[in-house]
Amino acid sequence: MTSPLLRVRDLVVEFSTERGLVRAIDGVSFDIMPGETLGLVGESGCGKSVTSLAILGLIPSPPGRIVSGSIQLQGRELTGLSEAEYRHIRGKEISMIFQEPMTAFNPVFSIATQMIDVLVRHQGMSRRQARNRAIEMLALVGIPAPEKRIDEYPHQMSGGMRQRVMIAMALSCNPKLLLADEPTTALDVTTQAQVLEQIVKLQEELGTSVVLVTHDLGVVAEACDRAVVMYAGRVAEEAPIRCLFEQPRHPYTEGLLKSIPRIREEKLPELPTIPGSVPDLLHLPPGCRFGDRCYKADEICHRREPRLELRSDIAVACHHPNTYAAPAPCPES
Amino acid sequence: METKERTSLWAKAWYKFRRDRIGMVSLGVVLLYLVIALGVWLGLWGQDWSSIEGPMWAPPGPEHWLGTNIIGQDIFERAIYSTRTAFDVGMVVAILSTLLGGLLGALSGYFANSWVDELILWLMGVLDAIPFYLFVAALAYALQGNPYAMHIAMIATFWTTTSRLVRGEVIKLKNFEFVEAARAIGLPQRLIIFRHITPNTFHILLVQATIVFVSAIKSEVILSFLGLGITHGVSWGLMIAESTQEVQAGHFSNFVTASTFLFVLVMAFNMFSDSLQDALDPKKVSA
Amino acid sequence: MKPLLDIRNLKKHFPVRGGFFRRVVGQLKAVDDVSFRIPRGQTFGLVGESGCGKSTLGRAILRLHEPTSGRVMLDGTDITALDRRELVAQRRNMQIIFQDPYASLSPRRTVMQTLLEPMEIHRIGTPDSRRRKVLELLDIVGMSSKILHRYPHEFSGGQRQRIGIARALTLDPKFIVADEAVSALDVSVQSQVLNLIARLQREMHLSFLFISHDLAVVQHISHQVGVMYLGKLVEIAPAIDLYRDPRHPYTRALLSAIPVPEPGRKSKRIILEGDVPSPLNPPSGCPFRTRCPEAMPVCAEQLPDLKAIHDGDDPHQVACHLY
Repeated sequence: MTSPLLRVRDLVVEFSTERGLVRAIDGVSFDIMPGETLGLVGESGCGKSVTSLAILGLIPSPPGRIVSGSIQLQGRELTGLSEAEYRHIRGKEISMIFQEPMTAFNPVFSIATQMIDVLVRHQGMSRRQARNRAIEMLALVGIPAPEKRIDEYPHQMSGGMRQRVMIAMALSCNPKLLLADEPTTALDVTTQAQVLEQIVKLQEELGTSVVLVTHDLGVVAEACDRAVVMYAGRVAEEAPIRCLFEQPRHPYTEGLLKSIPRIREEKLPELPTIPGSVPDLLHLPPGCRFGDRCYKADEICHRREPRLELRSDIAVACHHPNTYAAPAPCPES
Repeated sequence: METKERTSLWAKAWYKFRRDRIGMVSLGVVLLYLVIALGVWLGLWGQDWSSIEGPMWAPPGPEHWLGTNIIGQDIFERAIYSTRTAFDVGMVVAILSTLLGGLLGALSGYFANSWVDELILWLMGVLDAIPFYLFVAALAYALQGNPYAMHIAMIATFWTTTSRLVRGEVIKLKNFEFVEAARAIGLPQRLIIFRHITPNTFHILLVQATIVFVSAIKSEVILSFLGLGITHGVSWGLMIAESTQEVQAGHFSNFVTASTFLFVLVMAFNMFSDSLQDALDPKKVSA
Repeated sequence: MKPLLDIRNLKKHFPVRGGFFRRVVGQLKAVDDVSFRIPRGQTFGLVGESGCGKSTLGRAILRLHEPTSGRVMLDGTDITALDRRELVAQRRNMQIIFQDPYASLSPRRTVMQTLLEPMEIHRIGTPDSRRRKVLELLDIVGMSSKILHRYPHEFSGGQRQRIGIARALTLDPKFIVADEAVSALDVSVQSQVLNLIARLQREMHLSFLFISHDLAVVQHISHQVGVMYLGKLVEIAPAIDLYRDPRHPYTRALLSAIPVPEPGRKSKRIILEGDVPSPLNPPSGCPFRTRCPEAMPVCAEQLPDLKAIHDGDDPHQVACHLY
């Protein structure tokens, strides 16, 4: 078995707010294998974005702080690195793309300037080499006439176009890991399809590992090999994608899958729902965080918080996980 | 699932303000001044500011804590009385100019790009273009002998900043969905503006009022020094004006006392105003 | 049966000003010649991508944006012909639910004040009966009466959305525009609110114009669906027909683009080229032709009419030269 590219162990991040100390993520662990696409899914406040910021060393401090845990990139510990050291890792070894591409660009510089600067700094290329490489990357993400469009400014492009330029920029230094935080959420369905297709294609061609942070299970199903489902700052379930969708173990995953509005042959009288709403991180229920909303919850769930238990390559944090007679067709990853 | 606290936005802001140490200290200082001013109003102290009680330039001592001035008036007594003058001017100007600025700003913001807006913007432009001291001098001349000439001049010029800030905020607010909801209900514009929009600019008005208060006190000192300000009573500005002769003669008590009283209040009020701004910032409050 | 809402040739054009004297240099045709009907007690789903004019259409119907031309008949009354006073009176009959639960409630008003206000303005009932009505509505939308004196910032997105729905119901309207009413909510809460809207619609016999960019959400809640592109309706059909047998190439592409939460089931996806053209400078002829995989020469010359491809009470209508 190959060793993981990125190993996150028992990560705890806290934020001090005016209402008190909030534990945004509380003991999150997962691995990312080389060349795989991992989905990090969950609803707002589940800690998925905080996790990705922590990996990038971008937790705003204050008010945030990594309290404990470790993040290792190919065996190298990232927590505790100085900002200067982190700057060598960001953009070069770990790249990122964000939800709103407009805010990620500097509006006063052309695309060319911004892409070339990154390449010159991280790859030590000459400006001419860097320009050629940048044009190559733009062509790769499907920008028509890249040698012309490279001299445009961010505001001259449409949302989908900007998101592709951002992907090109993020991948231009051959990073080992690409973190994509809700990369398609701000886009329309038709554009989202284009961009998603592009990410999957590039991932296959370049062999980069990708972490796809999203609230959209449809996106996960289309693009990921494996997914980590988070709830209220913890991992609820982690599994290869087909297992997760066909045989969800955690009742939360099950409920989420059922309640996604999807196009159906027959109209249902009622959409299945999960009762209640996500708990306030400052007033978590005792025991299992999902306990108040879970149809399986019993006395033990309200008393003891379940630990994340690993069963072959599936991990579940539940006292009463679903069991299945016939195992799902989980492809070896 | 439900938050435990049951608080209005004001209560939240106060909770936040209370934890701001600088804010609380400066508020304490401001309140101390306010107590002094109230005492003067109520006749508890500072009543002998005009009586000639001692020799000229008496040194500080048990009789005259901070000495006497050129004609033998008690400097401490005069500084105490001047606190009331400062609050008189500061409060009148702050309240009226904030009301005026808030009202006109809300109207020009809500009716942005209409003739109402154009008119108000034009008026602001004109007032801002006239040099302040020239304007006061002209007004003082025009209102010959009116003790409120200075107040009127300050109100007429200070509202424009408030108005601009409120206008910008209202333009932002009127595109919020809750304003559309009010229109969809059929609420008259008057109620939309004054019930739903302006209450959300109160944080700006409050902070602006504190800023105008400080500006008014400072301007009063300068205007009184120039002879355009207070005509009845005494103020720190008048004390500093008197002290010019004394300083030449080597007696600094009058000058130092008036300046210190002024400096501490202005500093405290500025810090209070900064902390207030932080506490009321809606971006931070609603988070 | 007479429809509750009958919209005929509705247009909303925004003048575009430019140059030194801010003269009108063009027209942004946000809603361009749209006609459709909503029967009593039914939901009409309106889908389209951002900037297609669907929100503007919803607001033009309610005259929150003044329509440029066209007619809106609500239960026999021509909304577009009303003067200001009559319009205020008609607002009882038509309400709106908004997208952003964080911006749609007045921040410094309690739930009680927010819910009483519409009845006070329209002088409905006595203070006592208004209060009873508020409690009844909170019960209907599934909120406890303990929250009456709380402020919006104390609630979660889903709870705020329920309060927004209660506000829309205070005046017992016949027709409600729901503008992306569940788009900002988390999946688990989204389905709760959708069920609530569907239940209200059934039980109170309301008509909805349900605007959304999400085709799956629209399917669940709508009787009829209209697809909008660049200010025009390109296809209208009963919900079942539209999803089973989409005709317009744009509708097909939209449907195929939705990510399906079933791994391994790679749908045959129609990837559209390029982006939506600017509504300031729309293409000649059919607005979709620049991205249409089936574009023909005639598409550049002639604007296709919306025509029925089969008859019936709810005809399936398409605006495309293929049919």
